[in-house]
Amino acid sequence: MRRKTGFRILTHDRSTTAGSVLGVVAIVFLVGQQLAIMFGLFTYMSVLVDHSGADIWVLTKDVDEVNSSGSLPVRYVDRIAGLREVEWVEPLILGGGSFRSREGKYQPVQMVGLPRPRLENGPWRFDEGSLQVLLDSEGATVDSLDLKVLGYPGLLEFYEVSGRRIRISAITRNIRGFGGTIIFTNIEKAREVSGLPPGRCSHIILKVRPGSDITAVATSLRTLLPSTTVMTSPQLSASTRLFYILNTGIGSSFGFSVIIGALVGVVIITLTMYTSVLNHRRDYAVLQAIGARKRDILVVVFWQALIVGLIGVFVGFLFLAGFIAGTRNSQLPTNMPLWFPPLHAAITLVLCLLGSTQAMRKAVKVEPASVFR
Amino acid sequence: MISEIVEQRIKAAESAPPIQLEGIARDFFDGKVLRRVLKKLDLEIFAGELTIIAGPSGSGKTTLLTIMGFLLQPSEGRIFIQGREVTRFSSNRLATLRMQKIGFVFQQSVLVPALTVIDNILLPSAIQGQSVPRAVKARARELLEMLGLRDYVDAMPQQLSLGQQQRVSIVRALINDPPLLLCDEPTSALDAESSAIVLDTLKRLSLEPTRAVVLVTHDPRVFPFADRLVKIEDGAVIYDSRQGRQGVPTS
Repeated sequence: MRRKTGFRILTHDRSTTAGSVLGVVAIVFLVGQQLAIMFGLFTYMSVLVDHSGADIWVLTKDVDEVNSSGSLPVRYVDRIAGLREVEWVEPLILGGGSFRSREGKYQPVQMVGLPRPRLENGPWRFDEGSLQVLLDSEGATVDSLDLKVLGYPGLLEFYEVSGRRIRISAITRNIRGFGGTIIFTNIEKAREVSGLPPGRCSHIILKVRPGSDITAVATSLRTLLPSTTVMTSPQLSASTRLFYILNTGIGSSFGFSVIIGALVGVVIITLTMYTSVLNHRRDYAVLQAIGARKRDILVVVFWQALIVGLIGVFVGFLFLAGFIAGTRNSQLPTNMPLWFPPLHAAITLVLCLLGSTQAMRKAVKVEPASVFR
Repeated sequence: MISEIVEQRIKAAESAPPIQLEGIARDFFDGKVLRRVLKKLDLEIFAGELTIIAGPSGSGKTTLLTIMGFLLQPSEGRIFIQGREVTRFSSNRLATLRMQKIGFVFQQSVLVPALTVIDNILLPSAIQGQSVPRAVKARARELLEMLGLRDYVDAMPQQLSLGQQQRVSIVRALINDPPLLLCDEPTSALDAESSAIVLDTLKRLSLEPTRAVVLVTHDPRVFPFADRLVKIEDGAVIYDSRQGRQGVPTS
């Protein structure tokens, strides 16, 4: 009967209930969309690591994020290849360049140079063309998301990056780095553009044989190459994300937005639930007069908060799903890891209950004797 | 042996007055001075009677009723329910006592507007989280029928007239079959016809030997329904028809 009473009071007082639900929707949507964009940017930050297919990355000493350019001797490749557990090892060149469009405008790009013929760490989604076009000495890719900013370069047309000629041989689909445009090409072309001398590369990637312990191989490499930084792919991915969160305003900016979103929602819930109790204080006095204990009143209001929370979470996630579907294949990066929705829903319900504590306190403090006045 | 003792105790409880007040005083602080609203008042309410407590506004009659219903703690004095002292009970125990032993009929029918008539009536039997027994549901329908409300079981309170709402309040007050029914000016908001129905109902209920009905009013037209009239003025009993003047038993 306590749950039924709570539910009926909610449905009876529809406008106030709608206000409370709106508060929960605000938390789910505002917090959810901010975090979805942040997770989307996370995937940009470490996109090259997450899709590399490599188990271990070797970087220049003291570098802790993948997008930093560096300089390593290519001969390290041979030393690494000597390890029994290594299946393959390749040098990479990641470097900056300046793309010149048809109209003569310049756009900074990140060049990713892959060694032929394996082309490991190459692009993984194509709108036009395939990975093999990068076997061509001047072959390069641009991404469909960047066509506008690059002045709509034509397929198989020649362009310049930092004064070096490339030919757009393929168009990738939705492959973007945190720094913006990524152009994949072969390692020789990337060396020309970045100015790295022969015999040097910026990164070395490797795959360990099936059954080998990746962490143990990484430890061996740290001993073998003490003047480098060795990380497993998950370590480098996390380290890259952490670098951007700490060294750009992105962490505090999203953190602030998330807190504001949650606060707005909690304030709306607090005010509307409190208003609901004020509107029904005579009912709560009657309930106490006819035998309800304080904990029974708490159950009535708690149940209301829970119902409001569940409805709000459901509606909020519908909006959030619409937002994420709407931003797919757009310039706005969004991503929602599988673990996030249940955690977000649980935290929102807790916030909803926290927002209702004032209402609960008010309800139990209603003087039962007031029914006589 | 044990069952005999239990039976004796039940009989003793049933034969004891439903409620007994000893030296009840109540003070209120109005921000400047402490005002004594009830002045060491003694009162015993007997089963099988309709007791009317009358007095002018501000005489303390509603405060007395509130204390009798454990909705307000007395500043001094002791309260006994069926011979058992309950003055120092915790708020939770008093709530349970209210649920089991007392039925309230308020000045205005205070039904929960979000609940149907039947749900309002069943509230006192389930508000502490219990499920409602079938017998209680049947009793609710029986009482509704008795008070001419059979067709309003699933109606919302707003769909009823004030008189009908007050009768629903009476059914709600009776649902747990309490030994004490406390009514605070139950006819003040009703027209003459509805008032007569409500008073007649309360009178009939008071005839049950296990139940006492206490009705607070300042309306002298209600007095003829009383088996006993208690007049209060300035926080003290100035007349009790059972005893003549307070403390002087009638022959």
